[in-house]
Amino acid sequence: MVPPTEARVREPGRGAPGPGRPPRAGGPGAWFLVLPALIPILVLSVGPLLYGVSLAFTDAQSGRTEPTQWIGGLNFQDLLHDTLFWESFRIGLVWAVGVTVPQFLLALGLALLLDQELRLRWLARALAIIPWAMPEVVVGIMWRLVYNPDAGILNETLRDLGLGDGRDWLSGLATALPAVIVVGVWAGLPQTTVALLAGLQNTPRELHEAAAVDGAGAWRRFRTVTWPALRPVALSITALNLIWNFNSFALVYVLTGGGPGGRTRLPMLFAYEEAFRYGQFGYAAAMGCVMVAVISVLLAVFLAGRLRGGEDA
Amino acid sequence: MRTSARVRGLQYTALLAYLVFLAFPFLWLLSTAFKPPRELAGLHPTWIPEDPTLANFRQAFDEQPLLHAALNSLLAAVGAAVIAVLVATPLAYVMARYRSRLTAAATGWVVVSQAFPFVLVIIPLFLVLKNLRLIDSVPGLVTVYVVWALPFALWMLTGYVRAVPRELEEAAAVDGAGKLRTLVSVTAPLLAPGIVATALFAFITAWNEFFFALVLLKTPEKQTLPVVLTHFIGAEGVADLGPLAAAAFLATLPSLLVFALIQRRITGGMLTGAVKS
Amino acid sequence: MRTTAGTSRPRTKIPPTRTTMPVIPVIAVLLLLLAGCSGGGAADDGRITLRFQSLAWQEESVAVSKELVAEWNTAHPDIRVEYVQGSWDSVHDQLLTSFEGGEAPDIIHDASDDLADFAYGGYLADLTELLPGRLRSDIPARSWETVTFEDGIYGVPFLQEPRVLIADAELLDEAGVRVPTVERPWSWAEFRQVTKELSGPGRYGVAWPLKEPVSASLNLSLSTGGQLFHRGADGKVTVRFEAGDEVVPRTIHDQVNTDRSASATTLGSGGSDTLPGFFAGKYAMVPLGFSYRQQIEQQAPEGFDWRVLPAPAGEDGLIQGVSPQTLSVAAESPHKKEAAAFVDFLLRPHNMVRLALGDWMLPTGSAALRDPALRTREDGWAVGTALAGRLRSAPAQSVRGYPEWKDKVATPAFQEYYSGAIGLGELRERLEEDGNLVLDRYQR
Repeated sequence: MVPPTEARVREPGRGAPGPGRPPRAGGPGAWFLVLPALIPILVLSVGPLLYGVSLAFTDAQSGRTEPTQWIGGLNFQDLLHDTLFWESFRIGLVWAVGVTVPQFLLALGLALLLDQELRLRWLARALAIIPWAMPEVVVGIMWRLVYNPDAGILNETLRDLGLGDGRDWLSGLATALPAVIVVGVWAGLPQTTVALLAGLQNTPRELHEAAAVDGAGAWRRFRTVTWPALRPVALSITALNLIWNFNSFALVYVLTGGGPGGRTRLPMLFAYEEAFRYGQFGYAAAMGCVMVAVISVLLAVFLAGRLRGGEDA
Repeated sequence: MRTSARVRGLQYTALLAYLVFLAFPFLWLLSTAFKPPRELAGLHPTWIPEDPTLANFRQAFDEQPLLHAALNSLLAAVGAAVIAVLVATPLAYVMARYRSRLTAAATGWVVVSQAFPFVLVIIPLFLVLKNLRLIDSVPGLVTVYVVWALPFALWMLTGYVRAVPRELEEAAAVDGAGKLRTLVSVTAPLLAPGIVATALFAFITAWNEFFFALVLLKTPEKQTLPVVLTHFIGAEGVADLGPLAAAAFLATLPSLLVFALIQRRITGGMLTGAVKS
Repeated sequence: MRTTAGTSRPRTKIPPTRTTMPVIPVIAVLLLLLAGCSGGGAADDGRITLRFQSLAWQEESVAVSKELVAEWNTAHPDIRVEYVQGSWDSVHDQLLTSFEGGEAPDIIHDASDDLADFAYGGYLADLTELLPGRLRSDIPARSWETVTFEDGIYGVPFLQEPRVLIADAELLDEAGVRVPTVERPWSWAEFRQVTKELSGPGRYGVAWPLKEPVSASLNLSLSTGGQLFHRGADGKVTVRFEAGDEVVPRTIHDQVNTDRSASATTLGSGGSDTLPGFFAGKYAMVPLGFSYRQQIEQQAPEGFDWRVLPAPAGEDGLIQGVSPQTLSVAAESPHKKEAAAFVDFLLRPHNMVRLALGDWMLPTGSAALRDPALRTREDGWAVGTALAGRLRSAPAQSVRGYPEWKDKVATPAFQEYYSGAIGLGELRERLEEDGNLVLDRYQR
């Protein structure tokens, strides 16, 4: 997520205290303003998170017959030997990277195009609303129709082009993961594009023109003028995409339900099933903890990169 | 800067490819929604239905309680949007205007909450809500949506508050207006468009949300639209493509309309330049 | 949250708008709606309301179920039954979370292979004392076996379907192969041979829709003596993949990978996905559940002639595993006796026939099975009815952890084996080694 106002940094009153107005912690009035949001955050976000972490150390499961007990690190020990979970983790990383990287490249291309004075830009803008605003469930349903082996347009197009008889994309062992990755790229393309486009439009046009006058080619102009200005935005949106994609659920749930044979069972899906299908709450919470740990590492890398980017800029 | 005709040609080709990639799944959805069952069972589907029909829409409404589900979705989304904005705006104001450990913590939470895997939150939340008897109820879902929409609402609103020139508030204070009056008569009107945009965005996210609804809503007549839609996909044999496409298309309309309304707000910030003039 | 607040660029001045939001009316309406939603308790006038969650999905069977509920309500004004529509697709997850949340319906429609974890978890009522003798004796012991866990009965099996071969009559006649009957079915070897003969350019002898490969493989393997799950002297269950378990999987594997007499593309499909190809003459036969006849009857193009054949037989004859549909009562229900009475009403012989006709399935009750409507030759009813006596409890369904074993270990293993990615040796290894690891977690 990119903050709504990049320009805010330069606003008076933030960062450097404005003349005669030191920032102050609010008095009782401020508390009155803060409480309505603070209570739900504490009760329904921070609290459950801590509770969730503690669940990971219990054998909590569904059923009314056995009481929950503390079992220490047993869940994590089991998890260590659970090859299926690590396989799912690997799939999750392949998926996250496989979606994020093409998404970024395609979005960059589209953003650069939209930054030009081209006709039909309005159309691209209008079409971009569709993937962005559409419920993920509908995105999944829609692509199932596209991929449908007999009634789907993809196989029909392939047949028309004489490229063979088509296949059952979403249930083929080899094709399922690539097929869902394409959908992931499609679904996230617009928002990445818009973020990058906004970044592009922040680059000073004069610099571009000056570089052009100096005879710099398109690629050099991109590297020396555009990219440095775009870098912070690109970095944030990519890192966030990576995290969101790693945590995504609905798309794949609708497209394949984790099949065929677990080839698209993302970690979120795995943990969901463990908790709400097999009723192993404690074990699922332990999985959540491992996922948080991995994401924290990603986030740390992102923040470090961002800080460095900030120094450069 | 002039661009050569060849480059222009390439650019248009690329743009066209993008347009096709973005549009074709949606067009296919539309096409499927208007095809009769016999055509869908055939082996060679066409882009334009040979014998277009509205029967799928009727069947979609008959088979699953779509209207009821849409009402549930509407309730959850409106509830979440209104409440989220109501609780978030004051905090966003404080976060934008004052610096304290609290605002730092809130900002930290906003960032960190983006990284939670929902599953780690939903398991304990499920157990907590179970004890509050809020499982399987739309108010329970609204509560969850509010908390879930908060980080984003705070993020947006803080930006909007910062964009309201502090000088205006100071001027009002100098004129003798009280703190509350300043807030109500100076800040709030300037903030209103931002608040509306935030609320609409929260509306869309809640309308589209699936995971929490899947876990929390169990009684069929309480389920929201996305959950009911997944029943169309169904187990073996239930996959009736026509009604599925029709229902999916209908479920998208509200999001599309609302999104078209606020797209400019989302893609361009509000009032950023106001302070400079 | 997949949302992005856009980045802004510095903009020109936007005049402050004076719109005041109509906040207060919005909130008022909202609160009203919420209140209306969370309210609505039971009317306290001595009347009981039971919730019956049905998974019927075909138009006819939904209609029949609703009719039966209405008839009950007319006859029993004090015990109102409310029809709740559920879905097969997600029933296990839905029930698990409803049980946990204390929101489960009173009367629960499900399938016997889904009940074990709920029965052991204490969520279902033991019906042993609640069911009338009539119902107990009407349904044969081999069906009761499917719902007996430890010593309790946790559901009433009422509808079941054998897996049959649906064949394109024209292609069958053209090829001149011997048409199998219940008395003289094909052997598995013969079946393989026939599919070879039925194949041709652009045509496969058979299309196996194996989206759920485990239940299909295990249930059909009963005919060749397959057991797979073995209960030791200590009561612990282990997986052993033996000679009797191999025949069916090997036949399918060879049809797909050696003879090319079975389509490889349908291996991941559900049953209905194969129908367009079947109607188009691309597949000569499709092994499907008995109830798929309804879809075929509805969707087949004019003049399409199809036939129902029994599945191939092994040394043990035409025996097949089934997991019947069941009706259970929630342990938490305050009105178990009334709920059981409603189940008894639904399953009176005449009503059972109506349910069976609505779902195009076979009833378990022996009285219902004698009904002439189920013995007509039309649409292959007679073939199915003749198979009813050969249906046994699916192996493994009383094994704890079976669902997880099936989803995580067996489904991928079978899918990879059928598609030719792994061999029989690795299939065995994964079913046994990975499988026993999972089962152990449930049997500590």
